[in-house]
Amino acid sequence: MFRAFRFIVDLFSQRHGIVAFVFFLVLGLLMRQAPVPIRESIVTTAISTLYFPAQRIVSAVGHYKSIALENEQLKEENARLRQETYHAREGLQELARLHTLVRFDDKWDYPIVTSRVVGHNPGRFLTTMVINRGTEHGVHENMPVFSMNGLVGKVSKATLNHSRVQLLVDPNLKLSVMDRKTRVVGFLESMDGVRLTAMVPTHAGIRAGDTLITSGLGGIFPKGIPVGTVKDIRKSDLDVMRQMDVEPFQDFTTLEEVFVMEKEPDWIVKELLDE
Amino acid sequence: MSNLKWLKVLILFIIVFALQMTVADWLSFFDVGPDFVIIFIVAIAIKMGPAAGCFWGFVAGFTQDVYAPVEWLGAHSISMTVLGFAVGQLEERFLTLNLPAKVGVLGLGFFVCDMIYFLVTGLGKDVVTNLFLTKTLPECLYTMLIGGIFFYLDLGKKKKKHA
Repeated sequence: MFRAFRFIVDLFSQRHGIVAFVFFLVLGLLMRQAPVPIRESIVTTAISTLYFPAQRIVSAVGHYKSIALENEQLKEENARLRQETYHAREGLQELARLHTLVRFDDKWDYPIVTSRVVGHNPGRFLTTMVINRGTEHGVHENMPVFSMNGLVGKVSKATLNHSRVQLLVDPNLKLSVMDRKTRVVGFLESMDGVRLTAMVPTHAGIRAGDTLITSGLGGIFPKGIPVGTVKDIRKSDLDVMRQMDVEPFQDFTTLEEVFVMEKEPDWIVKELLDE
Repeated sequence: MSNLKWLKVLILFIIVFALQMTVADWLSFFDVGPDFVIIFIVAIAIKMGPAAGCFWGFVAGFTQDVYAPVEWLGAHSISMTVLGFAVGQLEERFLTLNLPAKVGVLGLGFFVCDMIYFLVTGLGKDVVTNLFLTKTLPECLYTMLIGGIFFYLDLGKKKKKHA
């Protein structure tokens, strides 16, 4: 076979390759002049025999490239789906919170306005926050503000679209609270803008761990909203009263959304406030 | 010429086509890229003479024809056979080609090859003029540049061998 190959090469190399040139030129011209079906047959035969291995390699490379491309697309899709899953989880959490709210809302006959916290006071102590609901949405001053965990504060200033909420830790806010177990009434305030302190009569028998709720006596907050738990009890300057630290149910630094109860202050409080 | 050398050229031929299908696309600007196949034919014709030049020219041309429209079958084969033969004749009969001459032959070969191709396919005068200005000329210059680099590296290799 090699001898035959050598013979052909020698033959074609004669006369400075003119034989080869004429041969290939004639071959090329024959292909040019051939009818279309014969040309198609030449191409089909060549592709299916001579160039088949190359075809396989090229298609394998193409396949590899398409896999790489598909991999990129899948990565992008994965990232997008992760985002969607994240949003879906957020939505589910929000739904759970709203379900809790619905149950919460059953206790009182006041409509609820859901709002998002959009800002808070810039000082070191968090005493005020801003929500994205105002008079346009039915929010007015002195309306109670709470979260699904418990009481947050009250609306101190309402504008058209935004309202300022005075938090329980604001030293200017004082409210009447009640021990859920003993039903003894005291009052709650913050002296330093950080901790909540409750003052309760000495004979009440309140213990650490007891739950405090709103008493409904102040005229602003309705009765029964959870406020916090008693942490530490100590003697006050007055012998008849006990001073106790209260841990609020709601951590004010992590608030994202709050609910405003559309409850106007009782008429007596309104009169006092107007005066 | 030994059988091993033919095998080497065959492998080189496959590599050249692989380069033409991949690297040429990456190197192209504004749809103008180098033609590695023509560099290959010119290089083979210079190194191995007109017979090998027209053989590999025909093989390369036929390979391109197979993947071109069936109506133009044979056009590449003819033009590249002529190219391989002509360059081989130049090298064998008239010139001992140095680097600039090789690059010049490459450019001329590119130009002649395209002209024969246009002639064989029977494209209209306006189309040919347009293709000549937008494709042949810029691609010819680009191929000369790439071919020049290749010939320069090849010459450097030869000098090292002699030393």
